[in-house]
Amino acid sequence: MDKAKKRSIDRASQYMLERADKENILTAWDRLETMQPQCGFGQLGICCRNCSMGPCRIDPFAEEEQTGVCGASRDTIVARNFIRMVAAGAAAHSDHGRDITHALWLAAQGKADAYGIKDEEKLKTLAREYNVKIDERSKEEIAEELAVKIFAEFGRQHGEIRMPLRAPEKRIKLWRELGIMPRGVDREIVETMHRTHIGVDNDYKNILMHGFRTALSDGWGGSMIATDLSDVLFKTPEPILARSNLGTLSPDEVNVVVHGHEPTLSDVVVDVVRDPEIVELARKKGAKGVNLVGMCCTANEILMRHGIPVAGNFLQQELAILTGAVDLMMVDVQCIMPALSSVASAFHTKLVTTSPKNKAPGVTHIEFKEEEAYEIAKKIIKMAVENFPNRNGNDIHIPDENQDLVAGFTAENIYNFLGGTYRATYRPLNDAIIQGRLRGLAGVVGCNNPKIKHNFGHVEMAKELIKNDVLVVVTGCSAIADAEAGLLTPEAAFKYAGKGLQEVCEAVGIPPVLHVGSCVDNSRILIALTNVVLEGGLGEDISDLPVAGAAPEWMSEKAVSIGCYFVASGVFTVLGNPFPILGSKNVTNFLCNEVENLLGGRFAFEADPVKAAHLMIEHIDKKRKVLKLKPLMYH
Amino acid sequence: MKRVFVDLDRCLGCHSCMIACAVEHSLTKELFKAVQETPLPKTRIEVKTTEGGGSFPLQCRHCEEPYCIDACIAGAIRKDPETGLVLSDEKKCVGCWMCVMVCPFGVIRPSLIPDRREKVAIRCDLCQDRETPACVEACPTDALFFGEAEEFKKAVMSRARRRENALLNSG
Amino acid sequence: MRYLIVGNCAAGVNAIEGIRRLDKDGEVTVISNENSLAYCRCLITEYVMGTRRKEDILYREKEFYEKNRVNLILGKEVVRVDVSKKRVILQDNNSLSYDKLLIATGATPKSLGIKGEKKYGVFGFRTLSNAEEVIKIGEQVGRVVVFGGGLIGLKAAYGLKKRGIDVDVMVKSSRVLSQVIDTEAAHIIGRWLQENGISIRTGIAPQEILGDKEVEEVILDNGERVRTKLVIIGKGVMCNTSLIKNSPIKTHWGILTDDFLQTNIEGIFAAGDVAETRDIATGNRTVNALWTAACEQGKIAGMNMVKMIKRYPGSIGANSADFFGLPLISVGYVRVKEEGYEQLIKSNPKEFKYKKVVLKGNRLVGFTAIKDIENAGVYTALIRKKVDVSSVKDILLEDYLDYPKVRELLEEKEGLRESISMQGETIKIA
Repeated sequence: MDKAKKRSIDRASQYMLERADKENILTAWDRLETMQPQCGFGQLGICCRNCSMGPCRIDPFAEEEQTGVCGASRDTIVARNFIRMVAAGAAAHSDHGRDITHALWLAAQGKADAYGIKDEEKLKTLAREYNVKIDERSKEEIAEELAVKIFAEFGRQHGEIRMPLRAPEKRIKLWRELGIMPRGVDREIVETMHRTHIGVDNDYKNILMHGFRTALSDGWGGSMIATDLSDVLFKTPEPILARSNLGTLSPDEVNVVVHGHEPTLSDVVVDVVRDPEIVELARKKGAKGVNLVGMCCTANEILMRHGIPVAGNFLQQELAILTGAVDLMMVDVQCIMPALSSVASAFHTKLVTTSPKNKAPGVTHIEFKEEEAYEIAKKIIKMAVENFPNRNGNDIHIPDENQDLVAGFTAENIYNFLGGTYRATYRPLNDAIIQGRLRGLAGVVGCNNPKIKHNFGHVEMAKELIKNDVLVVVTGCSAIADAEAGLLTPEAAFKYAGKGLQEVCEAVGIPPVLHVGSCVDNSRILIALTNVVLEGGLGEDISDLPVAGAAPEWMSEKAVSIGCYFVASGVFTVLGNPFPILGSKNVTNFLCNEVENLLGGRFAFEADPVKAAHLMIEHIDKKRKVLKLKPLMYH
Repeated sequence: MKRVFVDLDRCLGCHSCMIACAVEHSLTKELFKAVQETPLPKTRIEVKTTEGGGSFPLQCRHCEEPYCIDACIAGAIRKDPETGLVLSDEKKCVGCWMCVMVCPFGVIRPSLIPDRREKVAIRCDLCQDRETPACVEACPTDALFFGEAEEFKKAVMSRARRRENALLNSG
Repeated sequence: MRYLIVGNCAAGVNAIEGIRRLDKDGEVTVISNENSLAYCRCLITEYVMGTRRKEDILYREKEFYEKNRVNLILGKEVVRVDVSKKRVILQDNNSLSYDKLLIATGATPKSLGIKGEKKYGVFGFRTLSNAEEVIKIGEQVGRVVVFGGGLIGLKAAYGLKKRGIDVDVMVKSSRVLSQVIDTEAAHIIGRWLQENGISIRTGIAPQEILGDKEVEEVILDNGERVRTKLVIIGKGVMCNTSLIKNSPIKTHWGILTDDFLQTNIEGIFAAGDVAETRDIATGNRTVNALWTAACEQGKIAGMNMVKMIKRYPGSIGANSADFFGLPLISVGYVRVKEEGYEQLIKSNPKEFKYKKVVLKGNRLVGFTAIKDIENAGVYTALIRKKVDVSSVKDILLEDYLDYPKVRELLEEKEGLRESISMQGETIKIA
């Protein structure tokens, strides 16, 4: 148990890790250990494989400056590698956005009847933004034209994409001055690949600024499109109660885990599991019903909108199967470990891939098409039900942990909440900050990484921040971590929050940590910050706000893109492990110092979550001072 | 006497041993901090290339009859009677380079080290503070081996036998 | 068995270790005319520089003699060796008997042979007491004259300059290090020293030293007069063979030795600066008065005093130095005066870089490097082993010439101190 306790703070996960050990099933933690020591060149970012004159590496301990065979300095090599990470992350988010747009477009034409326009108001707001006529038109007509206009954002060749224009004026002006207003969602990614090709960009600052532009085309582009159009298609979330952790798996119902990212899949499954035919079939097979749970971001999507339980975050995906109670796990894209197929093979669990972008050798692939969404989903769920009798009854180990949570906060409804019952406005939030009842805001987001004790980074940081009267918003795996630790409940305010934050939470009835969605929903935070600025009294730009961001357990390239679009939007962002850039002093100095003078935001690296929280608090205090806000009420 | 041996067939020339050695001989002993130290820590093992283009990690051989001990004008090098290791006292070294001049393997190098304003001669010390030398632990292909000569020979022979069997079995 | 060693420096101390390796019980006596324990003679430069104290330059720890059960007699001079009676006679007329004798009396700085040389203020640069005097006077006067541009003279000058005392080096020939390296390399070193504040004048020799009992002034051979209180002479050394002047032991420049470092008298050996040995690079007999050679010879002579088991492969001229951070290494035959040698040179005087190899036919016989000295030992090994280097001739001057490139050449040969072919770096199995 000691080993398990060292690997995770979550008791359910510890219990499953013990089981993995007993059954000799390897997990990501074990594989990390065998991978040690990991390559120093890779960790420092000073290895380049972009062309066949290489592979090249820079000796970080040599007396003389080394370059790659082409002459690229370590600054160039590190910078190129870095923006390719940004591009990969942006590509994942933006492709997700593209898929949602595609679903909307099909739905609008009546070609995909599993989908409909659930939030007409939001549709109209978007339509106005995109100059789509709304008078005397059906919502389907509006939606179709909107979808076409949004598709065009992906392939735009001239001008600017639209969503960044939502940012505060000052911020837009700054992006234009610096030449980093995104021009087209796909274009920036293509240009990243072009610039980092052998013999193109050789100036690390130039390279990195394009990296920021690429990230902006994600945060204020692809991701934001995904969020907004998902709200249109599936409804805009409202605060909702739900449960989290592996204890949400059921001993006597068919357990279906939907894992991955895109709600075009998971949202349909929500309906399918309620289908009478399915329920009947389940009973026939001896189950009390069908229990749908999610993992990772797709879980967050259906959690936010439908209160579907979330069984776990990134590092718990293998552990879910280890319960022996998962009858079927269906996956689409992103953060799905290839290891799942070998873990599943030790149990009765069926693993099904659904996206043409994600196949695995020996794994059943049932390709999901929006046009036949419901039918295909039903087919898959039937497989799950058929698999229920194959459970090895004696070998089911479902941990007890099954924690309550409140999720479903968005940029729009936070306002409703904090505005009191009859006026939707950010005023009370801003006032709370100005008066010193709240110190400021923080966004704690991102993945899990076995290099950091599972959930420890997220939970300890959140606790330290709320203790210091910082209101915390969370997304992705970070949100799930906090859910599992009980922080997403109003009661948590009394247990862990400082007095000021407690008062706010009590008055409004919210938890001290607000779950605002999946990773693409980090775009909600951008809008919320903009609204805070527009409400007034806290400066004129996002970089003036007493706010900070963090990704204490980041792992994926998506996190790199997210970090970059937050910094590019003026937010001080702290990461747990450093980026692979330390091999270049110049790049490190630029991203951790100089860039603040240009963009108003910068990066810092601190693996200890409490220390990192204090870096954020120091930053927030600094901003409070500049704004000449009242001293804090309770500190 | 335990030494570091190299199974040359397995060496891919990745230089991970060099990074691990430098980090082990740094002040902070952590990669991310070591790259920021002044002076930068120096590796005692170097991956050289053979005529045929293969990789050849090379460090002090801790010779039976070391040339360097006779050459040292400061008496800073001695052979430990128990372990057989040839150890340089970097504090005594005056940087005269006589040892560099006589070492037939070229494994002693003038380098800057912390607390010394001028360069001194450094060499592999088989990581006295560790159970297994840093380079051996860092090698991703197990090309580096730490143990007695007989153990090494056995290990290489059995690897070769396994390779042969695998070839035979795969038909 | 009674082993007697005359001399307690590099050769003597290593001889003790050589004897004790093979004979743990025999009686070992060492006589030295100095009053101190064996110290690292070469480090008197560092002592003058101020970077080492007296206690830092001991060659072995204080307990060395006790641990090796050596009867150490300090401060006594051996004036005669009585070969027939197998005993040595000391200055105070006492005598000591021996069964086996090692003469390791070293050498003494050559005198200039000019008037006034015996005044107080004229020193060689060989002993710790030389260094102490030099520091004392040097700090008083702030300016010193060094005659001689060899390694001794330059090291004395370097040590003093680093201590903050100005130095004028005066050299008879047209360049420094004229007996060590070739002209081009010598000019690079000379220029570097001058750029770092050591004044060097060439084509000048001292004619007369003036002063009462102490040095006041030196007259140079060009008529110039230099006021100084301290004159250091670095003009080479002479072997201390006076103790065997009237004995049957044969000498030439030094004491003649065979392949086992034995003299023409059985049971009497010679090692160190006093011994004349065969030079591996040139094949000629010579005295290579170098610390390294003394250590090697001492050890082997010591072993052979117990049992004639180890051949001495010959000495090799091998010098290294570091002046103000510029390293110099030179091995073997490098000042080529005869026909039949090929020299390959890579020179970059602007960056003070120099590399040269000297070949005789297919053999490497000499090597000089300034600045980029890593892998120098590989060249030394190639010279020692007398291998055919034609297969690597085109890369001999490259910085990447290293052990793996010449491994096959070296490992073919046996007995490179048994140290290369052991460890089996690879066991290739087909």
